[in-house]
Amino acid sequence: MKVGIGLSTDKEPITAARQAARQAMGNLYSEKVDLAIVFSSVDLASVGLLKTIGLSLKSQVPIIGCSSAAVICNAGIFKHGVAVMLLSMPAHMHFSVACVKDIKEKTALNAGRELGERLLHGFRDMRRDLSIIFSDGLIEEGSNLINGIQERLGKSFPLAGASASDNMRFLRTYLYFNQEVLTDSAVGILLGGKLNFGLGIKHGWKPLGKPRTITRSAGNIIYEIDGKPAVKVYEEYLARELPQLQKEIRLVSTLYPIGMFIPGEEEYLLRNILEIENDGWLRMQGNVIQGSLVRLMIGTKKSCLNATRQALDEAKRNSFPAADINKGEIKNAVFVFDSTSRYTLLRREANQELQIIKEGFGKDVPIIGLYTYGEQAPLKAISYHGQAYFHNQSIAILNIGG
Amino acid sequence: MLLSLISLLLVIAAMSAFIMFKIERIKKLQTTVDRLKKSVEEMDEQAKLIVRTDIELNRTQEELDKKFSGLFALQRLSREISTTLVESQIFKLIESASFEDLGFEKAWAFLWSAKENAFIPYLTIGYAPEDIEKIKPLVNAEKDAYLSLVNNGKTFSSISYPLNGPLHEKISHTFKAGNFIISPILPKEGNKGFFFAGTENVDSAITDADEKLITILSNQIGQALENARLFENTWRAQQELEKKVEERTRELTSAFEEVNKINKRKSDFISSVSHELRTPLTSIKGYAAILIEGKLGELPQAAKERLEKINRHSDELVHMVNDLLDIARIESGRQVMNMEHQDLKAIIFSSTDIMSIQCRNKNVELVTDVQEDIPAVLADRTQLERVFINLLGNAVKFTPEKGKITIRARSKDNIIQVDVSDTGIGMPPEALGKLFEEFYRVDNPINQQVKGTGLGLSLVKHIIEAHKGKIWVESKPGKGSTFSFTLPVLEEA
Repeated sequence: MKVGIGLSTDKEPITAARQAARQAMGNLYSEKVDLAIVFSSVDLASVGLLKTIGLSLKSQVPIIGCSSAAVICNAGIFKHGVAVMLLSMPAHMHFSVACVKDIKEKTALNAGRELGERLLHGFRDMRRDLSIIFSDGLIEEGSNLINGIQERLGKSFPLAGASASDNMRFLRTYLYFNQEVLTDSAVGILLGGKLNFGLGIKHGWKPLGKPRTITRSAGNIIYEIDGKPAVKVYEEYLARELPQLQKEIRLVSTLYPIGMFIPGEEEYLLRNILEIENDGWLRMQGNVIQGSLVRLMIGTKKSCLNATRQALDEAKRNSFPAADINKGEIKNAVFVFDSTSRYTLLRREANQELQIIKEGFGKDVPIIGLYTYGEQAPLKAISYHGQAYFHNQSIAILNIGG
Repeated sequence: MLLSLISLLLVIAAMSAFIMFKIERIKKLQTTVDRLKKSVEEMDEQAKLIVRTDIELNRTQEELDKKFSGLFALQRLSREISTTLVESQIFKLIESASFEDLGFEKAWAFLWSAKENAFIPYLTIGYAPEDIEKIKPLVNAEKDAYLSLVNNGKTFSSISYPLNGPLHEKISHTFKAGNFIISPILPKEGNKGFFFAGTENVDSAITDADEKLITILSNQIGQALENARLFENTWRAQQELEKKVEERTRELTSAFEEVNKINKRKSDFISSVSHELRTPLTSIKGYAAILIEGKLGELPQAAKERLEKINRHSDELVHMVNDLLDIARIESGRQVMNMEHQDLKAIIFSSTDIMSIQCRNKNVELVTDVQEDIPAVLADRTQLERVFINLLGNAVKFTPEKGKITIRARSKDNIIQVDVSDTGIGMPPEALGKLFEEFYRVDNPINQQVKGTGLGLSLVKHIIEAHKGKIWVESKPGKGSTFSFTLPVLEEA
């Protein structure tokens, strides 16, 4: 597999697209382009961007991607810009791309099923290895979308993905599919043949305070914890009244999310709070399980960066079949799906995170990534027999080669 | 029976003991549980303290980070806008990336145009094209309110004025931003305006520090506009001045060319007239000589005397014509100077030698004071001798008996200066400026008695200038005069 990456920070979408696509072509060292993956800041999200990338590639190449609070690539982290990754695959590798629209209308579960089916189309008798999904960052039932996809691809089928983000305003996120700019949608890639890949996901948040139990919940809403309105946990710990908490919820949730204990998994599954209802219910970004043990979680910049190192080690260790990236045995590319919450927490140290990844894989390995409103991956990524979850506040590092 | 009773009692006793033991054990366990529970509760309380401290630390850190990046962005923006002196460029240099680091994602800059009676937008950040088109007329529909904000000269923000105030709501609605700051742009001259910074982010409440940052930025914009306008005015004035200088230079050049043309015409005229005069003068002189010598028969004494007068006047006329021809030739560049390596001391001595008889006759002392190692000069010996003869001749003419004439020559900084001083009658100041003009003669009793052409000093000036030297005179009536001239030293090869 050959990989080429291009970046532009030009303010104008057409110019930015042309610059990034040409740079990616220049770095690809191949005339044949099979797939383009595009991440851009929301100010560049436009049909013109995708059309220009398409035209610059000179052949009909599938384009897939989404908007982000900032784009990540080898050159750095850019709040404004577009990054294009071009893949040229060998004959033994196969892939399919698909999209599903109108998730709210169809329900996330059904939309997930539809996306899974579309991805499988044309993959009947071939080995399937991995699916990568990008979805609208503002849909509330991210967990159901994954469940739907896994119903079709297989419960333990490796899945990694990211929810698109905007400029941290939570107003509108965009998905890219060929020349379409979509909202309320999800797009995906299914890869197969002889693909090597490794996946690591960690968040680095630690449990704090006494364990509590979700005594009443449904979907992504926690009604009661330990028999009291769920918000009481935050009122007690932060010594703040409901109206103030409602106002500060994004910051509070970023710093102190709810951690849900999943039996058999290494880390707690984190859940951000989208909203606090007036009667004290917590509307979470992702589903929760009634009866689960939950803790208030706390993270620091240091623990965040440690988590990055752990995720990196897993992504390197789990390359399948085993291959020593450091010896350059496989020509690979790295995807980074990093939570916007971590970006908010790390602030200026966000570049340190990228530095850790660059040092981990070697400076020549192409890296592309985005900041997400949710990450999708199995909790414990050591084996790929675990179910994929919808995560918050995590960094997922996916290393693919073939 | 008794045995059974005893056994029963024993069993009861054992059971009681066991129950007691169990109760004791339960009590102990309960104590441990209670202790553990207490510990958990205490730890939970500690955790609460940790969280409360942590959130405060995070808030402080966030504020610090915001201020840090805001100041950094402000410094970058200020540097950017100060690099240009073109008014239209100032707003273009405010990049959206840097601006966002101030903590706002939306911005407008309006300047008031008295001509159009409207606010004209110069900068828009963070709005879709359709929003921009909607907002422009909305601002101008409320132009009086915005003008009053500008004229008020103070920064207006969503925290400094009541949340539900009419203007607050209007601005928030017009610019689609819940949190905003409006700061006036006030250059000393020209159009004033205002800078709008806004955000929809409800999490980022505006602080006093934000107000100050935006105020500084709009002041910087005002300053940059002022500089640009000042530069524009200065540049325009300079352009006009340059144009005027150019015109004047052109006029002077043309006048100078005209003068040169006239001068050439004059020289040509003098040259041609002099030539025309010299031929008949030669004939007159020739015929006068024949008649004087009596080759055509002896003439009466009275006729002879008249003829000698004719001869003498003819000589004067020839002399005058020759001087005129020389001046004309030097002026027109036709006179070829025979420049050679000359020993100035030798020229001075040969000239004084010629003049010594006249000095002796008039009882005037002639002194030479020439620097011993005076360097050589590049000069036409004949012409330089004419200079000395002329200057010494004038000195003798205007110096009374027992007077003194001094020739002094010194070299300094590759220049030789020669001064010819006399203790003669001197000249009035008004005469000095015209002295080197052709046909000018100072009005004094000696000149009234002694004839002269008024061409000598003019010829001297032309010869010195042809040698790349300068000539001037200093004089006081009754005290004498000093004629000074310079000659460049012959540089050694």
